[in-house]
Amino acid sequence: MTSQSDNSLADNRLVCATRVLRDQCARGIAPYITAGDGGLACTLEVLHALDRGGAHCVELGLPFSDPIADGPVLQAASTRALAAGTSLTGTLEMLRAFRQAGGRVPIALMSYANPLMRHGLSETALRVAQAGADALIVPDIPLEEGALLEQACAEAALCPIFFAAPTSNDDRIIQAGARSRGFLYVVGRVGVTGGGTTFDSETQTFLARARALSAAPIAVGFGIATAADVRAAVEHADLAIVGTALVRHLHACGSNPGERAAAASAFLAELQTGLS
Amino acid sequence: MTDGARGPWFGEYGGAFAPETLMASLAELEQAWCSVGQSAEFGAELAGLLRDYAGRPTPMTHARRLSREVGCEVWLKREDLLHTGAHKLNNALGQALLAKQMGKTRILAETGAGQHGVATATACALLGLECVIYMGSVDAARQRPNLLRMELLGARVELVEHGQQTLKDAINEALRAWVSDPEAHYLLGSALGPHPFPALVAGFQQVIGQEARQQILAQAGELPDTVVACVGGGSNAIGIFRGFVDDEGVELVGVEAGGAGIASGQHAARFQGGVPGVLHGCRTWLLQDGDGQILPTHSVSAGLDYPAVGPEHAELLALGRAKYDTCDDDVALSAFDSLARLEGIIPALESSHALGWVIEHGAELQGRRVVINLSGRGDKDLDSVFALRGKEGQ
Ligand SMILES: Cc1ncc(COP(=O)(O)O)c(C=O)c1O
Repeated sequence: MTSQSDNSLADNRLVCATRVLRDQCARGIAPYITAGDGGLACTLEVLHALDRGGAHCVELGLPFSDPIADGPVLQAASTRALAAGTSLTGTLEMLRAFRQAGGRVPIALMSYANPLMRHGLSETALRVAQAGADALIVPDIPLEEGALLEQACAEAALCPIFFAAPTSNDDRIIQAGARSRGFLYVVGRVGVTGGGTTFDSETQTFLARARALSAAPIAVGFGIATAADVRAAVEHADLAIVGTALVRHLHACGSNPGERAAAASAFLAELQTGLS
Repeated sequence: MTDGARGPWFGEYGGAFAPETLMASLAELEQAWCSVGQSAEFGAELAGLLRDYAGRPTPMTHARRLSREVGCEVWLKREDLLHTGAHKLNNALGQALLAKQMGKTRILAETGAGQHGVATATACALLGLECVIYMGSVDAARQRPNLLRMELLGARVELVEHGQQTLKDAINEALRAWVSDPEAHYLLGSALGPHPFPALVAGFQQVIGQEARQQILAQAGELPDTVVACVGGGSNAIGIFRGFVDDEGVELVGVEAGGAGIASGQHAARFQGGVPGVLHGCRTWLLQDGDGQILPTHSVSAGLDYPAVGPEHAELLALGRAKYDTCDDDVALSAFDSLARLEGIIPALESSHALGWVIEHGAELQGRRVVINLSGRGDKDLDSVFALRGKEGQ
């Protein structure tokens, strides 16, 4: 029972990448970076470094003035990126340059609803897909408003990605998993991004429940900072998303694109020790 | 039909654009509002509190000297006389009572002018609930008396130091706090945010319009021609509009903050300078740039200084049932003085925008009967008004 939209996603980089992970019973890392933090030239070099380093997917955050699901580190990154003049158009140009230079890692664009809806979600989704992104993650579009996202993504051959949280009941997790493509984003902890997630038995039970209920592979994020966190996270999850820790680390490295790229490679390599 | 049963949409506006972590709490709130919230016991308990504690019904005052000055018959719905000094207590008591019925022990809230923070701290003191209020530090400075009142009432006030440090940033922070603590109740202060808040808050504020309609019929013998209210998030306005929305002959006018004038770009007039988008959980008219980033706002009044407007107002505009106009800072400030001198009533700067609009449009309103929602009293604004005067005097 494959729907039209699934057919059009047959070549989607993210769908392929997570399918391979499942087929091989393997796990992966999905780093998160804020587009334009340090300038888009840095972002481009960091993307290449993460791609070469073997990231399984990159979550590319579009900065927003009012990021209500983000903690202080990602808020500050958004503010810096906007102050540096980062726009959707600029970000998509950078993404196109990344693909033209041979960049192959799947890219999930993370944005709050408003910047995507400003000129129509469907029109914007097409631009996002044409620039070379593979998925849309919208933290303030829950299942209730999801038809909008699903339609725009279907037209653009992008994966719509929904969320499951520890507060979600089984029904919602099933729905979110069934309506997501590529992966279901599982929020590891009740809270905003940043801070620490302790992978205690309660968290692991939740992740196991999410994995069992979701038709899509699962990526767990929020508060994963170290190789040890990665190791704990991928006990049940297909992908570990590492955001705040990486963004903080890159910011501390200054704004030289080469230095940032080297720092991103090293950070990723360290995290990957949690996969073996 | 209960208010909860209206569903999340007001025409094309509203919805529930919230992070997944909050969806269970929003559903729980909607469920409580549709069941316990509609019960006779709850209604009776809330009505008792509003009467014996808060001082409802608030009077309807015929402002005779102001009427003579403006040339139309001006009536004031006196929410300034409600306990704590503004309409905000209607909603705070209603939601706090509902939260208590839901077994909640901790309340989170944002505040701009501080009136909602004070009302929430008051309701929490009365009902024995823990209370945390988020307030932008710019607002805390310009509404300092309210900051002190909240602390006196036992609330913990968290100052928000980022962004513009006004109402929008306080809501951002309160939402983040709720995402981290979904067991608490978020007591949103205006008719905005994700479903069910816009309907819930309007439901608790419609008592203003219900009373006003009865009072004007009893005191003037007829319905008004025009009902005017200031619109920040839109709760006092929707509260009074709902009393008259089915009376087709009654014109409804919402007044947004014109700030330094629309042309200056320094204002909070969403319907004049905005376009629809999504902020703080709902689709509505927003002040935003071409990239969908939210724009800074300006108003002399902290309670109107916000880039989005409640979705029910967006629908009333789309239906042509209400019209929305603006009143600039200077006109509001002079209306503040006029009401004090002509009627012995010091209005809140927010409410002064509704007054200012009526005074400015006196010529069109000649001979008409106008009800203004005097949403609050101005004690909280004395510092900022005198500080502005000091600047002008230099
Ligand atoms: C006295 C008063 N009126 C009006 C407002 C604006 O809010 P709303 O539009 O929700 O009534 C406020 C907000 O703080 C207020 O304190």
